[in-house]
Amino acid sequence: MQGFIRRNPIWSLLIALVVAVLLWLIFAPWTDEMEELLGRKRIFLNAIFGGITLGALYFLVASGFTLIFGLMRNVNLAHGSLYLLGGYIGFEVSERTGSWFLAFPVVFVVVAIVGIILQNQVFRRMEGEELRQTMVTIGLSVVIADLMLWTWGGQSYTIYAPDMLFGPMTLPIISGVRSSGEIIYLKYPAVRMAILFAAIVIGVAMWVVLNKTRLGMLVRAGVDDREMLAASGVRIQYVFLAVFAFGAGLAGMAGIVGGTFQSLSPGEDTRFLLASLVVVIVGGMGSIPGAALGALIIGLSEQLGLVYAPTYSVVFTFLIMAVVLAFRPQGLLGERQ
Amino acid sequence: MTLVEDSSADRLGSVSSGNALELRGVTKMFGALAAISDITLTVASGERRAVLGSNGAGKTTLFNCVTGDFLPTSGTIRLFGEDVSRFPAYERIRRGLRRTYQISLLFNGLTVADNVYLACRGVSRGRFSFLRPRENDALLTRADELIEAVHLSPWRDTAVANLSYGQQRQLEIALALAGAPRIILFDEPAAGLSPTERSELVAILNGLPGHIGYIIIEHDMDVALRVAESVTMMHNGLVFKEGTPEEIENDQEVQELYLGDGHE
Amino acid sequence: MALAERPRPGVQPLWIERIPAAWWALALILLTMPAWANNFILFQVMGWTFILGMIALSLMFLAGYGGMVSLIQMSVAAMAGYMMAIFGNSGMGDISMGLPWWLYLPIAIVIAAIFGTIVGALAVRTEGIYTIMITLAIAAAFFYFTRQNYTIFNGYSGFNLVVPPELFGVDWRQPMPFYYLTLGCAVICYAVVVYVSRAPFGLALQGVRDNPRRMAALGFNVTAHRIAAYTFASVIAAIGGILLVWQNAQIAPGTAGIPAVIDILVIAVVGGISRPIGPFIGALIYVLLRTFSPDVLLAFGLSGERFKLLIGLGFLAVVFFSPDGVLGLWERWKSRRDRRRDPLTGADE
Repeated sequence: MQGFIRRNPIWSLLIALVVAVLLWLIFAPWTDEMEELLGRKRIFLNAIFGGITLGALYFLVASGFTLIFGLMRNVNLAHGSLYLLGGYIGFEVSERTGSWFLAFPVVFVVVAIVGIILQNQVFRRMEGEELRQTMVTIGLSVVIADLMLWTWGGQSYTIYAPDMLFGPMTLPIISGVRSSGEIIYLKYPAVRMAILFAAIVIGVAMWVVLNKTRLGMLVRAGVDDREMLAASGVRIQYVFLAVFAFGAGLAGMAGIVGGTFQSLSPGEDTRFLLASLVVVIVGGMGSIPGAALGALIIGLSEQLGLVYAPTYSVVFTFLIMAVVLAFRPQGLLGERQ
Repeated sequence: MTLVEDSSADRLGSVSSGNALELRGVTKMFGALAAISDITLTVASGERRAVLGSNGAGKTTLFNCVTGDFLPTSGTIRLFGEDVSRFPAYERIRRGLRRTYQISLLFNGLTVADNVYLACRGVSRGRFSFLRPRENDALLTRADELIEAVHLSPWRDTAVANLSYGQQRQLEIALALAGAPRIILFDEPAAGLSPTERSELVAILNGLPGHIGYIIIEHDMDVALRVAESVTMMHNGLVFKEGTPEEIENDQEVQELYLGDGHE
Repeated sequence: MALAERPRPGVQPLWIERIPAAWWALALILLTMPAWANNFILFQVMGWTFILGMIALSLMFLAGYGGMVSLIQMSVAAMAGYMMAIFGNSGMGDISMGLPWWLYLPIAIVIAAIFGTIVGALAVRTEGIYTIMITLAIAAAFFYFTRQNYTIFNGYSGFNLVVPPELFGVDWRQPMPFYYLTLGCAVICYAVVVYVSRAPFGLALQGVRDNPRRMAALGFNVTAHRIAAYTFASVIAAIGGILLVWQNAQIAPGTAGIPAVIDILVIAVVGGISRPIGPFIGALIYVLLRTFSPDVLLAFGLSGERFKLLIGLGFLAVVFFSPDGVLGLWERWKSRRDRRRDPLTGADE
């Protein structure tokens, strides 16, 4: 961090400025002129929070993708299918048992097992053949997508959040001032706040595990030098299996989250696969903080774009990716190959 | 049989006298580790120099910095008087620099003739040509001459993957001789060769026209001292000693270092 | 990855004598097909095969010779189709400019080539496995953009009534003329790829695939070479795209949707990406499956929609068992047969 500031003083200043302006826009009450220029503050705040929540969801999906890629160089293009599969299974579980919370462990275990099978039966058999592995995952995503269409049909499903998370909650952020001088605080769906909170907890937990534990040390050593790790007597295959299972399980749980605050239907698998791709390309392939940053940027740009320039919101996402690729091909927080 | 083209036709036409290569304070860091540090080295045009040193002394890293495979962390590299420190590899090659690799880096899917043809094509115009070469194409003839020169004619249509190790080393040399080289970097060309192949190699090197200089990394002192006019000793990424072969051979410190470290 | 066959200069028979008998047979079948095949086969099956084959051929060129698996080829093809609809004629009179064919065709191809080149320039900044991710992401962006943009791409509905110009008094959308048109284009594209693969450009590209670092050490600008390969492949994809739009008489975002993008990869890989003929074989298999599998599936009591499952499973099987596609399977079978016939030599292949 300090090294970055020293090396890129201008960039650091610019980033600090943008963050400061954003924070000011969020917390300061808006004057009438600003409202005239930028529209209602409530709309802006909703876009910002929507973007952050969407970013949180993207992070849940993309962090597993980037973790698997970082450690094993496996580009799992069936990652989106794991997301959608998790969502459908979560729907079934919560419908039948009536418990939204129970869906999470069930889905995590089931999709993690699917991940283990994938790792063991596909990736291990084609060790070192990156392209073939990628192609197999493409084939799998086609097959799984059709099997899911077969089972669950073409309609869209929504998973209902439990009562406790139903409805809005009031945030200590001023969204506007009534003419009477009464201050209005922002109201935001509680379930979305819960998602954001969960994503932050999971993100921090992943960071801590990766940086502070022995398992994390093994994984990071594996990212840097797989042969050395293998030679040092560690059962690297178990580390691989564990990471793959975890990444898959996370994608599955993200499916429940996505099914709760958006919906599940055929095509969502591709959408989230692409979101993961863009997030890790922007953030830096194989980097967890990079995935967080990339997810936040893409989520925000999508939501802000949707509010302020609906026709071109996709273009923003694409432009961000193109600019990153052109000037920093390894991604914002990625390391040079 | 001409081994190399006459460099008088060289498109740059810069002065042939003076220094072929000048390194000033070249350092290459890999993370916190300095693979080579503060190397200052001058090789005159046409000079033949051997670089000796134990494994990890930084010899190959030095070559990689000179050819542009890596950009040096600091320092300047001048090629025939021109500062090329920030040039990509292909620009340096087009200025008359060539190299061979320690581990054969060849095009395994292509034949011997294709490999050499590509090498000839790389330093001439028409790299992007969509037209196939005609049968009397000058470069094809040139490629055949080079294949002849390194005794690979019987294998000209063999895929590189099917060549023996010694043949791959010979092909490496043919690639380095393509076009009009002015200074060539040989990275352990004799490694893994049989005694006969070694004397063939020495003959090829000694048979190069006088205006072509080279730097050769060689573990085999015997080969190195037979083909070099001057010697640079490297140790732990630093230039340790410079001198004539005799001086180096009789140097007390060098002997201790070299024999103390052992051969590989 | 095996290379294309390599004729050597030197004492050689006339080029016409070097063509194996199988090729003559194939040529005869293809040329006389309109005499014995029905219109559906000509227009739907063969025409579509040639078109998809051309687009997949552009992927084969990049992947087989350049080692770059680009998923952008279908988008480049669609870009050419869109440009043709925009600069030429369509049912959307508000957007289409109605330029004459000798103007809008080159414009469409050039714009598509520029698009492909820009994507290539972004993609070659990273290596290997990243290419597939980046091109897939850009292809998706193209799809979403065309679907959302109404001023240029006419959004969700795209353009209809995009038909070929009536040249020489022929309606090129009639089955027989269209068959010969697509056959001619496919043969030209195929021949050009085969020719270029042995020209300095193609050879150098294969060098870049095998060993980019060494290519730089031979004086080649590796990045420029890779980008140029994208440009070349884009032209082939663009021609395929134009024909595809003519065949359907319309273009919409779905033409280059993610499933279509993946299909091109499936076609190239199933056919075999080491040789230019592979994509056409893959296209034929794909088109036959697409066309006839619903009937077969229905006969087994399954919904005709399950053809995707069939294609996916077929693709998986090919990738699992023969990285070199159907061509690779064929070659392995042939070499095994040869060996059985002559156990004395014992030599492989």
